[in-house]
Amino acid sequence: MSKFRKEGKKGAPGVNTSSLPDIVFMLLFFFMVATTSKESDPTVKVVQPKGVRTTDMTPYKQRSEIDFLYLGKPLNAARAAKYKEMGMEYLLFMDNVAQSTPDDLYNVNAIRRWKLDKFDSKPARMSEPIESVITCVKADEGAPTGMIFDIRKELQEIDALTIAYAVRDNGNI
Amino acid sequence: MAKREIPEINAGSMADIAFLLLIFFLVTTTMDKDQAYLRSIPKKVEVPPDTDIKVEQRNIFAIRANSNNELMVRKELMQNPDDISERVIEFYTKNEKVNDPSNDFPMYSRISMSEIESQLAAAESAAEEVENTPGASNDIIDFKWRQVTEWENKKKALKLYGKDKLPEIHFQAHVRIEVQQATEYKLFAKIQSELEEAIYQLRDAAALDVFGESYNVISRRYSMDKDPKDKDKMDLLKILYPDKFIEVTPKK
Repeated sequence: MSKFRKEGKKGAPGVNTSSLPDIVFMLLFFFMVATTSKESDPTVKVVQPKGVRTTDMTPYKQRSEIDFLYLGKPLNAARAAKYKEMGMEYLLFMDNVAQSTPDDLYNVNAIRRWKLDKFDSKPARMSEPIESVITCVKADEGAPTGMIFDIRKELQEIDALTIAYAVRDNGNI
Repeated sequence: MAKREIPEINAGSMADIAFLLLIFFLVTTTMDKDQAYLRSIPKKVEVPPDTDIKVEQRNIFAIRANSNNELMVRKELMQNPDDISERVIEFYTKNEKVNDPSNDFPMYSRISMSEIESQLAAAESAAEEVENTPGASNDIIDFKWRQVTEWENKKKALKLYGKDKLPEIHFQAHVRIEVQQATEYKLFAKIQSELEEAIYQLRDAAALDVFGESYNVISRRYSMDKDPKDKDKMDLLKILYPDKFIEVTPKK
């Protein structure tokens, strides 16, 4: 009696895809661990200068002890041209509002208000004293340093005494 | 009749769900690290002091950058900003071994353990005396006790240093960054980078000398496990090479 029975014509067997979810989940977990969530999408273009021996801000970010400010030219070409005409080439971006210059902001104390709002919105158990909540300024290479000192002055007024100047790390040369 | 088997749940769409999640995370997160130089802003002074505090020229390392992005370091023009770190290291180490009053660099003091101990005792008794004085303001009491902790830290540092004397740069020695309104941020960041590099090299050399470990290793380990032993090491390196950077607000 033959054990090998000839069957009818058979197509190529399908590839077993039962482990596909496992692979995808692995990728998913990798990305969840290796990345941090975006703070915001700034509407100004920031090309950071390079530097060495920097401090990594990621642990502060995870503990939400950090607020970001962006300083650069507007991404929108039409807006950039309009502001340039008014003599304001570089704009300050805080969360979802692009403001003109710190000078304009001073009238309404926007930087102060922004920082204090951010501080109040942090959950109580995470709240460090305001002096140690970092304000990280991400400025474009060409931005005038005077604007950074304007921001510094505003932060000093509300006792937010820790500032960070963001750069791109050049690695260890 | 045979027992009916429970039908398996179709997991064919599991992959789709996982892909969906994966793509969501890919879009909402970033890989790039945020790297920055941490600096503290001095506290606002309510009442400016009426007497000018005199600082000797030798204790100032002034870095000036104008609106044309030209650099001046200690009153000399500098073409290449890469040289700043070498100059800063020279500023810190010139008088480290022997004080030479004829040069233009900050002086060092070298105190022995017995001197530290007598200073500590003097500070403690002064603090207690102020505390027992009726009507003494809290600020003064705090100030006196801060001095006591300062001497205690020095005592701890010298013990860890393991040598006869603790070299200390003049307390007024500092690096001063003076920029103008229109100075590009690129140059400002470069100055910060060079300063950080200089301090790193100084502390690294001292760390290798005293502990046989790189400064990088110690600081990274400290940031991970917060070992008090590593904190003492960091404190000693900070006392040996303090990072006093003053950023002068540019005039309008």
